[in-house]
Amino acid sequence: MSALPSDPARSATAPEAQDGEARESAGRERREKLMRFLTDWQAVTGLVLVVLFFASALFAPWIAPYDPNAMDIPARMSGPTWAHIAGTDQLGRDTFSRILHGGRVALYIAAIGVSASLSIGLVLGMIAGYGPRWLDNLLLLAFDAVRSFPAVILALATVALTGPSLTVVLAIVILTTIPSYGRVARTATLALRHTEFILAERSLGASTPRILFQHIMPNVIGPLLILAAMEVPVVVSIEAGLSFLGIGVLPPQASWGTILNEGYLVIRDAPWMVVAGGIPLILTTLGFTFLGEALRDIFDPRMGRGR
Amino acid sequence: MKDMDTHMTDETLLNIDALSLEFRTNRGQVKALRDISFPVKKGRILGIVGESGSGKSTVLWSILGLLAGNAKVTAGRVDYGDRDLLTLDAEALRALRGEEVSVVFQDPMTSQIPVLPYARQMSDILYRRAMSEADKRAAAVDMLRRVGIPDPESRVDAYPHQFSGGMRQRAGIAMSMLTGPNLLLADEPTTALDVTMEAQMIGLMRGLRDDFDTTIVVVSHNLGLIAEMCDDVVVMYAGEVVETGEVHDIFHNARHPYTRALLECDPARIADVSRKLPVIPGDIPDLTKPLAGCIFASRCQKAMPACATKAPPLVERGTGVARCHLLEGPLADASWPPPASVSTVARDDGAAAPLPANAGEPLLEVRDLNVQFRTMGALKARIRGVARPFVDAVLDVSLDIRPGETLALVGESGSGKTTLGRTILNLQAAAGGSVRFDGTEIGNMAERRFKPLRRDMAMMFQDPTGSLSPRKSVRALITEPLLIHGAEGRDLDAEAERLADMVRLPRGFLSRYPHELSGGQARRVGVARALALNPRLIVADEPTAGLDVSVQGEILNLMADLQAEHGLSYLIITHNLPVVRHIADRIAIMYLGRIVEDGPAAEVFANPAHPYTRALVEGVPQPDPDRRRPPSAAIEGEVPSLLRRPKGCDFATRCPLARDACRPAKPEHRHITPDRRHACLFPLTDTQDNKNKTETP
Repeated sequence: MSALPSDPARSATAPEAQDGEARESAGRERREKLMRFLTDWQAVTGLVLVVLFFASALFAPWIAPYDPNAMDIPARMSGPTWAHIAGTDQLGRDTFSRILHGGRVALYIAAIGVSASLSIGLVLGMIAGYGPRWLDNLLLLAFDAVRSFPAVILALATVALTGPSLTVVLAIVILTTIPSYGRVARTATLALRHTEFILAERSLGASTPRILFQHIMPNVIGPLLILAAMEVPVVVSIEAGLSFLGIGVLPPQASWGTILNEGYLVIRDAPWMVVAGGIPLILTTLGFTFLGEALRDIFDPRMGRGR
Repeated sequence: MKDMDTHMTDETLLNIDALSLEFRTNRGQVKALRDISFPVKKGRILGIVGESGSGKSTVLWSILGLLAGNAKVTAGRVDYGDRDLLTLDAEALRALRGEEVSVVFQDPMTSQIPVLPYARQMSDILYRRAMSEADKRAAAVDMLRRVGIPDPESRVDAYPHQFSGGMRQRAGIAMSMLTGPNLLLADEPTTALDVTMEAQMIGLMRGLRDDFDTTIVVVSHNLGLIAEMCDDVVVMYAGEVVETGEVHDIFHNARHPYTRALLECDPARIADVSRKLPVIPGDIPDLTKPLAGCIFASRCQKAMPACATKAPPLVERGTGVARCHLLEGPLADASWPPPASVSTVARDDGAAAPLPANAGEPLLEVRDLNVQFRTMGALKARIRGVARPFVDAVLDVSLDIRPGETLALVGESGSGKTTLGRTILNLQAAAGGSVRFDGTEIGNMAERRFKPLRRDMAMMFQDPTGSLSPRKSVRALITEPLLIHGAEGRDLDAEAERLADMVRLPRGFLSRYPHELSGGQARRVGVARALALNPRLIVADEPTAGLDVSVQGEILNLMADLQAEHGLSYLIITHNLPVVRHIADRIAIMYLGRIVEDGPAAEVFANPAHPYTRALVEGVPQPDPDRRRPPSAAIEGEVPSLLRRPKGCDFATRCPLARDACRPAKPEHRHITPDRRHACLFPLTDTQDNKNKTETP
């Protein structure tokens, strides 16, 4: 076996001693990564779709041709026309405007939900990875308990107690996505826990919060951000799903879920409503998935397979 | 056994001719090898020596055609017999590797297949042979026996993780010799091993060469290994061969200023004990830039203006070649090379640390310290009926460090020296005993109460780069101790610059990140962090690990200067005895968690009392081919696992002088003089002691 090829990395490290222009090389590496990103059609498609999603949601009041709740009874159940490019619903509201405003709800849930669960998951994961064994076991148990519970059932149970509202949707979204971040953060923290630089910090007298937030967090957060990009579509579809079931956003507020729900009732007479409500959901999911995968491949090529 | 005459043959087995190679990297083309030429003579051991970045391993991999994908050979040939290895196709190369040329890797842990037993791995190597499985197994057993694996008939079925480090490397050598190769390539074969194992490996490889008439090429940065093992030497620097020759010529009659400087920097070759070690100033040149003149000119003490622009001539000499203007041509200097007694490298002798009187109260007092590691959970131990589910990593250790003193803690891997250092700093819980710092008991103190003490006690860690938080700039790293311990009202930028100046790190480096630093630079950052709070004691774990010979002197000189300036005490944890001799006031030798001997450094070196100390002192390969030891000098065996600690003297299993009295109980520590102790029932000093008594009543 001694005649088999060795680890090629060893030969690659031969010229490592001359790191005089290391700064410059870091810049070049960054440029190289950007180039790789920009030449990947999936990455670019993902980026375009994501930008489109953000822009349409943010500027919805200005882009939307009509007030999303303004009723135009004579024009009700209109098919796609020049006046209403995505048709109108049974109350004569412009579906296109409602989709744009529904995107605002999706963005709101996605932004707050993902950032909150990312932060909580990160902190809990680092505590589980760095803290004592019993705490680790306890947190892991909690993560598994939450994960094993179907989100929709949990939502139905909660709504039965509190009544439907956007806040409940948000809370459910945050609660059910914490474990994915927590587990990733815990694994990464465990790997760092016994490294020499963490021991070095301890020998200086650094407090545990300092070690966690100054030294472990910067090394753990990268994979979490990529995970977050891939979680956005999950969150958006949870919101749409709950709203579709009528336990999310309350009428008359527009959401992609409620548009689908209302369209579903009249699917025989006005199929375009379901189609129009479904397209943004599909595009957003595709966009964030492409973007997340491209980011993952660029920053961590080893993770590219087998997921 | 062939007689020695076969090694004197002039037949060339492998000839490297004008080999040039480039690596394509982000920074541009790195001209990693330039015009490398040297012959490998049949039946001899050739050593390629150089520091990191010299391209010595790259030469090895280009012989085998195992270069990284970004490498490109731009010129030259590697002739093996009548074939140029660089032009062979993949299939022909594969046929050559293993059968005719094979390799011993640096780290046997990562170069052996963890999921296959040796029997399988070794019979796989013989896949081209028309042999029965039973014959292949017999061949494997024979070869394992030859390399000194005890009980090979059953050990052949073991997996790599069941072998200790030394046995694994022996097995690695057995695998590479199995096909009876003509040429054996060894890449730093002993770097991952302890001193006592290193001596055994050198003996083994020389023995194999004699028995099988194999030609060996060994790559190493270790001058001792090269001197002890090789017949011919090639000295490389920054991708060029600067000098070649027979081993005696290189070590006693070096012609190139770099060879000369490298030899003078090796602490093992410096006879007089001095706190200051010589260094080669400067850094290896950037190989992406256009190169002109002599590659070593920028660091050479003898450099002349023309050296930087005019390529030096290749001068034939007795047994090899050297590439230097001083030897031939218009710039030749008849007085070069000077006699061996003349120093040719920078050596600042100034202010050689007038040490404060060693009298006074000890700063650190460790008494009967014990550290235990759990081997299984409490419940599991109860179920299995194990009374004591612990191993003793540190056993009854007592030591003192006085202000301004350097104590070196020396031991092989597994001796518990790092654990002891961490326990003193309260990073590891003690199971018993006491640690007093400045008169206060600090053992197992709660972290909250211990924190103020961390100002006074700092630690330097083994891995220069790995002990720095990777996402922090150097500025943030060296000011962090100040932030942790309250830096109100301090100008952090000014502090960062002050500390950088103190450790002689250019200020421009403050905005760099750890991965952008070389080993020596990262080590300086570690020193700066340790010094930031003006501590009184620094625990330094292998301060020279991973540093080149020319750089380790700089770090040790820096530490000595800072000690003189600030009255620091050092606890230096190391396995590197040649370095210890120059920097330590006192040394303590550890074996299996116990201190077997301690005392003033000079006395312990000159006159070891414990057989283990003697084995360590004599185990260091001497960088002098005239002082080669007979193969029998190496002590047998390896450090046993802590789980199998002998009942009596821990060293009894390997001790050449062990008697029955050594085995029933652990020997107590006994004093020879008030500050010299040992734990041996039959110390080596007994006879000399009596002599001393009669001489000086």
